[in-house]
Amino acid sequence: MMSSTIFLHPASYFILGALLLPLFTRFKMQKVLLLAVPLLAFWQIHALPESFGICNFMGFELVFGRVDKLTYVFLHVFTLMALIGAVYCLHVKETGHHIAAFLYVAGALGTTLAGDYLTIFIFWELMAFASTFLIWYRKRKRSIEAGYRYLMVHTAGGLILLAGIFLRYQNCHDLTFAQIAVEGATTADYLIMIGFMLNAAVPPIHAWLPDAYPEATVTGAVFMCAFTTKTAVYVLARAFPGFEVLAIMGAVMALYGVGYAVIENDARRILAYHIVSQVGYMVCGIGIGTAMAVNGVCAHAYAHILYKALLFMGVGAVLEMTGKSKLNELGGLYKRMPWALFFTVIGGIAISGFPLTSGFISKSMIIASAGADHRIFLLVMLTLAAVGTFLSVGIKLPYFIWFGKDSGVKAKDAYWNMNLAMAFAAFMCIFLGIYPEYLYRMLPFAVDYQPYTAYHVSETLQILGFTGLGFYLMVKYLHPEPKSNLDVDWFYRKGALVFMWVACKPISIANDWVGEVYRTVGLRFTMLVAKALSWFDWEGIDWAVDNSAKGVVEGGDKMRTLQTGKIQQYIGGAVAALMIVLLVVVFL
Amino acid sequence: MVTLLSYLQAHAKVLKWVFFAYLLGTLLFDFLIARHHPHFWGDSVIGFWALFTVFGCLGMIVFCKGLSHVWLAQREDFYDSEDSDNDE
Repeated sequence: MMSSTIFLHPASYFILGALLLPLFTRFKMQKVLLLAVPLLAFWQIHALPESFGICNFMGFELVFGRVDKLTYVFLHVFTLMALIGAVYCLHVKETGHHIAAFLYVAGALGTTLAGDYLTIFIFWELMAFASTFLIWYRKRKRSIEAGYRYLMVHTAGGLILLAGIFLRYQNCHDLTFAQIAVEGATTADYLIMIGFMLNAAVPPIHAWLPDAYPEATVTGAVFMCAFTTKTAVYVLARAFPGFEVLAIMGAVMALYGVGYAVIENDARRILAYHIVSQVGYMVCGIGIGTAMAVNGVCAHAYAHILYKALLFMGVGAVLEMTGKSKLNELGGLYKRMPWALFFTVIGGIAISGFPLTSGFISKSMIIASAGADHRIFLLVMLTLAAVGTFLSVGIKLPYFIWFGKDSGVKAKDAYWNMNLAMAFAAFMCIFLGIYPEYLYRMLPFAVDYQPYTAYHVSETLQILGFTGLGFYLMVKYLHPEPKSNLDVDWFYRKGALVFMWVACKPISIANDWVGEVYRTVGLRFTMLVAKALSWFDWEGIDWAVDNSAKGVVEGGDKMRTLQTGKIQQYIGGAVAALMIVLLVVVFL
Repeated sequence: MVTLLSYLQAHAKVLKWVFFAYLLGTLLFDFLIARHHPHFWGDSVIGFWALFTVFGCLGMIVFCKGLSHVWLAQREDFYDSEDSDNDE
């Protein structure tokens, strides 16, 4: 790649920034760099040509930059989110944490811009690898363990993706990353889809998300909730629109995630499960696959990144200030952290789709596209998930943290930079709700959808109001308990324990036992076998071949009697032999 | 903002009636609006989404909480092995 095209790529700013961060630790220069890099990247994406950074590597054509409207809307929100995340983590002193966050963003941008599967794979793995550090930097034992699980699950997903890529190359020698036709999809394409679905946290391969995100650092979780799943949504929207399996899985996912969000206790675990639910809407929209649905997916991804990050920031502020994130340990914080409450509630009403917020203009687009496509079951499932959304994240979460029973936890409002980042994200949530054209203009297809119809407003007001009634009636029953709920990660977490037990106990015992048997019985037996083989070799094989071995030994014995050790005799013998050879040569 | 919230909390009863009035208002509003292109039969029933939400919401809470109590809920240190201590 030419050096001029390297700096076209917004990911290169983040990689370069990550390399420079350790050198900029003095005089608050690091903070300047932290803000400058996302700003530059945000500005740079407007100037990207349609295609750049094409290079040949060992016979493969790698396309580092492919830009169209679908790419652009994701790039726009990714770089915007990187900026908000950078503001939110300005107070963090660990340079390594910033480096991990930058490389993670670079991975997401690189994947989004990639035009072939190999490039995708490189940035895909960079993303998984860098984000693991955002978990490990919390430095608790649980986080270290969760980080390892996260890394291993993503490595497995990456290998499935790679297997799909290899198989695809074998099938058609074409690694261009483009839309795959539903009729022509092969095993290779489905393997690739599974690899993508793992990152999109589609059940039953979703458990890494609620396992890892609550264990990440306060600021790391803000980054993580934005990039991994939404990059997966982008690649699915690029390659697999119209696949029926995605429509069904997406609707199931929307309900599955929200169901867990209703019963969980840890605030960040509620939000993590709720990502599963929200990404479910997007996966479902990709499965529906119409222009309106894909528009809805992009709009929802854009809006979702902002309000989910806002929620993670609000709850993260509480965790940063109080050291607690479990609902049963919190309560009555509204007097001590009013700003965090204010911003979190804006995130909560935006995610629930209140009129005049971003959720109202994005989520409804996917639901309406299900209706326009006469997919009534999908429509009902997605609407039910919307009910659960407002119940769990819109009401339950703020209620039990800021109201409810006063826990007496000491706290004060978060650092200024955290509040600033939250204010910016909150502003975007409201701004998009009031002025949806800003977002609609960026969408890949022309938008023929008007969110503010009387019927839609009426429907939404009923859903929200009566969800409130449901909460009011059941609030005692919803009281948080210090419990955590099983999910399919049970299989590999308990499975790993079983594996370790088998490795430690039976295999170890068997190993000792075999060792003992070998020492006593085996060694003698081996010696006997060796002797027998040696005899067989000596007598049997040699006789069978030509007795040459015996002949050599006997010859050697006779030679030994000739060796007298006197140098004159040797020289005499050598001269005699030479004479004989000469005579033979001359006379024959 | 804190004083406002404290004031509201002190007058929770009033708030409750305002909330009920709002619910009634949404139902009345549903009578007035025009219905273009209903996607399915539910869209043409007045107050359908209100009913749907109440039953959906209560059903979801009962189902999920029930499943949690019967099966899914575990101690939070469920996965921690016995010989490791938690450094929280």
